[in-house]
Amino acid sequence: MFSVNRRTLLRLTSLTAMTAALATFTSFADAQEKIRVGYAISKTGPYAGGASITTLPNYELWVKDVNAAGGIKLGDKRLPVEVVEYDDRSSSEEAVKAIERLANQDKVDFILPPWGTGLNLAVGPTLNRLGYPHLAVTSVTDKAPELAKRWSNATFWLGTSAQISEALADLLGKLKNEGKIGTNVAMVSVADQFGIELAAAGREAFKKHGFTLAYDKTYPLGSQDLQPLLNDAIAAKPDAFIAFSYPPDTIALTEQAQLLKFNPKIFYVGVGTAFPLYKGKFAANSDGVMGIGGWNADSPLLKDYLARHKTATGKEPDRWASPITYASLQVLQQAIEKVGKVDRAAVAAEIRSGTFDTIIGKVKLKDGLLQEVWSVGQWQNGEFYGLAPTTLPGARAPVVPKSQWQ
Amino acid sequence: MSAKAARTLGWCAALALAAAVAALPLYANGYYLALGISVLYFTILATAWAMFSGPTRYISLATVAFFGIGAYTAAVLGETWSWPVVLLAAAVLGALVAAITGLSTLRLSGIYFVIFSFGLAELIRQLVIWYEVNVHKSVGRYLFSAVTQDVLYWQLLGLTALVFLTGFLLGRSRYGLALRAIGADETAASHSGIDATRIKLAVFILSAIFMSVTGAVMAPRWTYIDPSIVFNPMISFQVVIMALLGGAGSLFGPVLGVIPLVLLFEVLTATLPNHFSIVLGAIFVLIVMMLPKGVIGLVAPWSWSIPANGASSAAPVRDESGPLLRVDDASKSFGGLRAVDKVSFEVARGQIVGIIGPNGSGKTTLLNLMSGALVPASGSIRFGGTMIGGLKPYRIARLGLARTFQLVRVMSDLTVAENVAAAALFSAAPAKATSREVLDLVGLAPMHDTPAGELTYIDQKRLELARALALSPQLVLLDEWLAGLNPSELETGISLIAKLRDRGMTIIMVEHVMDAIRALCGHCIVMNAGSVIARGVPDDVLSDPTVVTAYLGGADA
Amino acid sequence: MLLFDIVLPGLVLGGMYALIALGLTLQYGVARVMNLSYGESLIAAAFGALSLYSGLGLSPLVALLLAVPCAAALNWLLYRFLLERLMRRGKDRGAKEIDSILVTFGMLFVIQGIMLVAFGGQYYSYSYLSIPVVVLGTTLAVNRLVALLFAAVIGTAVYLALTRTRIGTAVRAIAVDPGAARLVGIDVPSMSGFAFACGGGLVAIGGVLVSMFLTFNASMGVVFTMKALVVVIMGGVGNVMGALVAGLMLGVVETAVARLVDPGLTLAATYALFLVVLLIKPTGLFGRAAA
Repeated sequence: MFSVNRRTLLRLTSLTAMTAALATFTSFADAQEKIRVGYAISKTGPYAGGASITTLPNYELWVKDVNAAGGIKLGDKRLPVEVVEYDDRSSSEEAVKAIERLANQDKVDFILPPWGTGLNLAVGPTLNRLGYPHLAVTSVTDKAPELAKRWSNATFWLGTSAQISEALADLLGKLKNEGKIGTNVAMVSVADQFGIELAAAGREAFKKHGFTLAYDKTYPLGSQDLQPLLNDAIAAKPDAFIAFSYPPDTIALTEQAQLLKFNPKIFYVGVGTAFPLYKGKFAANSDGVMGIGGWNADSPLLKDYLARHKTATGKEPDRWASPITYASLQVLQQAIEKVGKVDRAAVAAEIRSGTFDTIIGKVKLKDGLLQEVWSVGQWQNGEFYGLAPTTLPGARAPVVPKSQWQ
Repeated sequence: MSAKAARTLGWCAALALAAAVAALPLYANGYYLALGISVLYFTILATAWAMFSGPTRYISLATVAFFGIGAYTAAVLGETWSWPVVLLAAAVLGALVAAITGLSTLRLSGIYFVIFSFGLAELIRQLVIWYEVNVHKSVGRYLFSAVTQDVLYWQLLGLTALVFLTGFLLGRSRYGLALRAIGADETAASHSGIDATRIKLAVFILSAIFMSVTGAVMAPRWTYIDPSIVFNPMISFQVVIMALLGGAGSLFGPVLGVIPLVLLFEVLTATLPNHFSIVLGAIFVLIVMMLPKGVIGLVAPWSWSIPANGASSAAPVRDESGPLLRVDDASKSFGGLRAVDKVSFEVARGQIVGIIGPNGSGKTTLLNLMSGALVPASGSIRFGGTMIGGLKPYRIARLGLARTFQLVRVMSDLTVAENVAAAALFSAAPAKATSREVLDLVGLAPMHDTPAGELTYIDQKRLELARALALSPQLVLLDEWLAGLNPSELETGISLIAKLRDRGMTIIMVEHVMDAIRALCGHCIVMNAGSVIARGVPDDVLSDPTVVTAYLGGADA
Repeated sequence: MLLFDIVLPGLVLGGMYALIALGLTLQYGVARVMNLSYGESLIAAAFGALSLYSGLGLSPLVALLLAVPCAAALNWLLYRFLLERLMRRGKDRGAKEIDSILVTFGMLFVIQGIMLVAFGGQYYSYSYLSIPVVVLGTTLAVNRLVALLFAAVIGTAVYLALTRTRIGTAVRAIAVDPGAARLVGIDVPSMSGFAFACGGGLVAIGGVLVSMFLTFNASMGVVFTMKALVVVIMGGVGNVMGALVAGLMLGVVETAVARLVDPGLTLAATYALFLVVLLIKPTGLFGRAAA
C-alpha cells in the first residue's frame, strides 16, 4: 500500500517537474572514466561583461589544456575533464539553483565558481553545505578573511579591497617621498560595493601617508556621462587622479580626461584598465596609465599563457584576474592529483595547505587567501606590468609623471 | 464513471498533489527543492501582482521595489531581531511605501502608470544606494543565516497558501467585484457608488505586502544583498510576463504562467547553454501569438461568485421636506467658455423634469455637476438637504443619486448580473429590489450571464439603467437615454420611465426626443449657451419663440 | 564659466538621451507598440557600426547610410508579420499594449541571443571623433556633439514632417484615435507599420552614434530601453518635440546635480524629475489632455 502511494506521489511530482525527463542520464556513469566539472556562469545579464573576459575564457582554456595533456592524473591513469555548463543570468537565485542542479542532478565531481562577489557569496553557503571546494577568485571583499574562516572549503584569490588601496597608497607615498608628486589627490568611486570598499580603505591609507583628498565623490553605477565629475576633479588640481571605477566608466573617464587635456602626474583608473580592450582602444595613450591588477609580463610562463589564451579563445586575457583564475584552476588540478581520488573534502584541504606551481609562480595560500597579489599595475610599452606590492618578483618601477595624452 | 465519482477523484487528486507539494523537502533532492523555491517565489509575486493588476489592468513595474524593500529589511534587521518580527517589519514597510506611492500614482492610468511605477522602483533603488553609500558606508550587506532550503521552501509555501487564500477571499468579497468594475470602467464604477481610489489603494497595499514579505523571506538565501541584486528590474518584468502569460484575470492564472516559464528556462539553459536566449525568445513569441488569453484561456473560463450587498455604514439622507434637488446659481467654465452659467432650478419628489436645448448648450455639463463628475466653479447643489456640489461621484451615488451616460458606459468584461451587482455593493440604501428584479424591470433578465460587452447597443442602454436602479436611487439622471431607439423601442422606453415614476422615483432627463418629453415631463428646462432660457410645461415651452430661435439658430429664423 | 560648464555638457548628454528616445516615440506613441526590445535593437546597431568600423574602416557616419535602411526594413518586417496580427487581435488599447509587451519581450531575448553568439558578452569600445572642441569656454567631445546635433535636426525634421505633411497628419491621426482614423480613410495598419519602421530607422541612428563614445556589451540593451521610456513618457507619448525637450532637460538636470549637489544623486534626480513631471502633468510635458 505504501509503495503505491509513494509511486503516485512521485508521478505527481514528476508532473510539476518535467525537467526530470530532460535531466542528464549520465549520473550513473562510472566516475573513474572522466572527471565531471560543472559551472554556472553569467552569459547574459549585467555580469556577462565581466564573466566573459575574466572567467569563462579561462575555464575553456583550462579544460582544453588539461584534455590536451590527457586529462587529470588520478593514481596511475589520466582522466579527461567533461564539462556541464549553465547560464546563471546574473541572478543570485539562478546561481544557487544551478549549483544544486550541478551537484544533485548532474552529480559533477567539481564545481567552478561563478563570476563576481555577489554571486560567489550567494553560492557560498550551498557549496559549503555540499562540500565542494569553492575557488572564489573573482570576489574581492574586505570580508574575505572572515568568509574564509566561516567556509573551510572556500579560498579567496584577489586579496581584499583594503589590500589593493593600501598598496596603491604605499606606492604613492613612496613617490611623494622621492619628490616625484605632491600631496593633492582627487578620488572618485563607483557606488557599488567594490568601489566603496576601495574608496573607504583608500581614504584612510592616503591620509596615513600624508596626502590631502582634494576631491572625493561617488557616482552611481551606470552613469553615462562623467565629464561633470571630471571637471570638478580637475578643478582640484590633483597630483594624482584615482578612480575606483568599473569597465565602462574606466573607458569613459580615460576618454574624457584626454578630451579635457587632463594630465595629472598619476592617472589611475579601476577595473577594466587591465583589459586588452583598454590597450586596444587607447593604444599609445594607454602608456603610463595605472590601474588595478598587473602581471609580470616578462615571465616565460605568462608569455606562454598569453599565447595559448589567444589561440584558444581568439582574444587576450585581462592582466589582473585572468591569470589568477587560470592559476586557481591549476591549483585545483594539482590538488586533485595529489589527493589521487575524487575526495572533495581532501581536495579542499589540500588547496588550502599545499604549495603549487602555476603560471603566476609558486602558490601557497595562507588562511584560505592568496596573499601575493598585484594591486597596482601600469601600462608600459603595451604591457600592463605589476608595480605594487614592490616585494613581488618582477615588480617594475613606476613611470612618473605619466606622459601627456597625445 | 458518474459525475460524482469524477468529482471525488478530482478532489483526491488535488489533495494528493497538495500533499506532494507540501512534503517536497522530505523526498526531493536539493535541485528539485531549489526548483520548487523558484516556482513558489515567482508564484507569490505573480499572484500578488495579479491581485491588483489583473482586475484593474494597471500594469505595475514596481514589484521589485517592494521585493527589494523587504529584502533590505531582512538584511538590516535579520541578524538582530527575531524572524517573525523581521517579516512583520518588512510587511509594514512595504505597506507604508505602497500607501505613499499609491496615493500619488493611482490617479494615473494606462501607460503612464506603467512607466511611473517603473520610475518609482528605480528612484527607490537610487535612494537606497545613496543612503547606503553616504550613511551606512557600504552598499552590500551580509546576512549569514542558518536557513536551510527546507525551511525556506516551507516559508514560501505558507506564503503561497496565504496569497491564494487572500486572493480567493478578495475575489468573493464585494471589494473584488468592485475592483473588477473599476478595471472595466472606472467612471461608471465611481458613479455606481464605488470609492475607486480607496479600493485601488487598499488592494495595491495588500499586494505590496506580499511582495515585501517574499523579499524578506528570500534574502537570507543569498548571503549578500546589494541594490543591483534585489532591485533588479528584470524581476518586475519576469513577474509581469509570467502573470500575463498565465492570465492575470483569474486567481490561478499567474501560476500557470510561472510553472511553464520556470521550467522552460531550466530546460533550455541546460540543453542549449549558448543559444538558449534565442530559442527562449522564439518560443515565447510563439506562445503569445497562439494563446491570446494566456494559458488560463485553455482551461475553462473562471467564474466569480457575486458577493452579496454589503451592510451599509451611513444611511442616505432622507429629508422628506422641501424639494429633493435644488440647484442655485451653478456655474462651470472650460477655459473661456461658460458651459453652465448661473443655472438654478428645483426638482420636487416624484417629478420628471426634462432638460432640453441644442447641442453644446451645457446639458451634459449640468448633469456632470450634479453627479460629481465635475466640480461647480460657483453656486450650490443641494440634494435632499445635503450639499453635494464638489462631492466625489461615489459619495453622491451612495446618497441615492444615480445616472446614465450619453455615450454608453457598461463594464464590458463583467456579466450583466455583475454590472448590476457592482452598483449595489456599497449602496447605503436598503436594497429595494434584487438585481434579478431590476433586470426584469428593464427586460434584461434572460441575459443575466452574458458579458456586457456582447450586448446590443439598446441592451447596453437598458443595462446602464438597471445599474442606476440597483443603487436604489431617489433621483435618476438620464442622459439621452432614449436616443437611437426605434419607434417601438421608444414606446417601451417611455413606458419604462413612466413605471419608474409610478414607483416614486424622481427623474431628470436630458433628451432630444420631444415626444418623450411631452409624454413624461411635467416640467422642463430649456438651456442655451449655458443658461436657462425658458422653463415650464413642455407644450408651452416648446412653442416659446426664444426656444425656437435657439433650436433653429440665427436671428433671422 | 560654471553656467556654461553645466548647461553645455548637460545639453550634450541630453541630446544623447533625446536621440535614443526618438525612435521609441514613433514606435510607442504612433504604432502603439511598447517595444521592450528597443534597447537591444539599439545595441545591435552599435555592433553593426563597430563591425563596419573595425572590419572595413567605414566611418560610423557613413555606416548610417547602410544601417538606417536595413533597420527600417527589418522593423517593417517585424511589424508586418508579427505585430500587425496582434494589433488586429487586441480589442482595446490595453490589450494591444499587453500583447506588444509580451511579444517584444520575446524579441528581446532573440536579438540579445544573436548578439551573444556573434560577439560574446564582453565590453566593446572604439574611438571615433573623440576630439575636443571648445565651445564658449567649455570643452566638449565632437562625437557627443554630433549626437546632439543629430538629435536636434532629426527631432525637428520629424516634428515638421508630422505636422506639415499629409502623411505626417495621417500618422498623427492614428496616434490620437486609430478607430476614427480608419473612418476617414487612413490605411491604419500600413501607416502604423510605416511609423514603426521609421522608429526602427531612428533607433539605428541612435545606436550607431552612441557607439562612438559609449562602452557597450550585448547585455546592456535594457539600460537604453529604460532611459528611452522615461524620456518618451516625460515628453508626452507620440510627441517628438516633447521627447527632445525632455531629453535635454534630463541631461541638464543630471549635469547640474553632479556639479552642484552630489554626483551620487544624478540618477535619483532624473527619476525624481520624471516622477514630478508626471504627477503635475500626467500626460507628459507636451502631452494632450487625457481623454
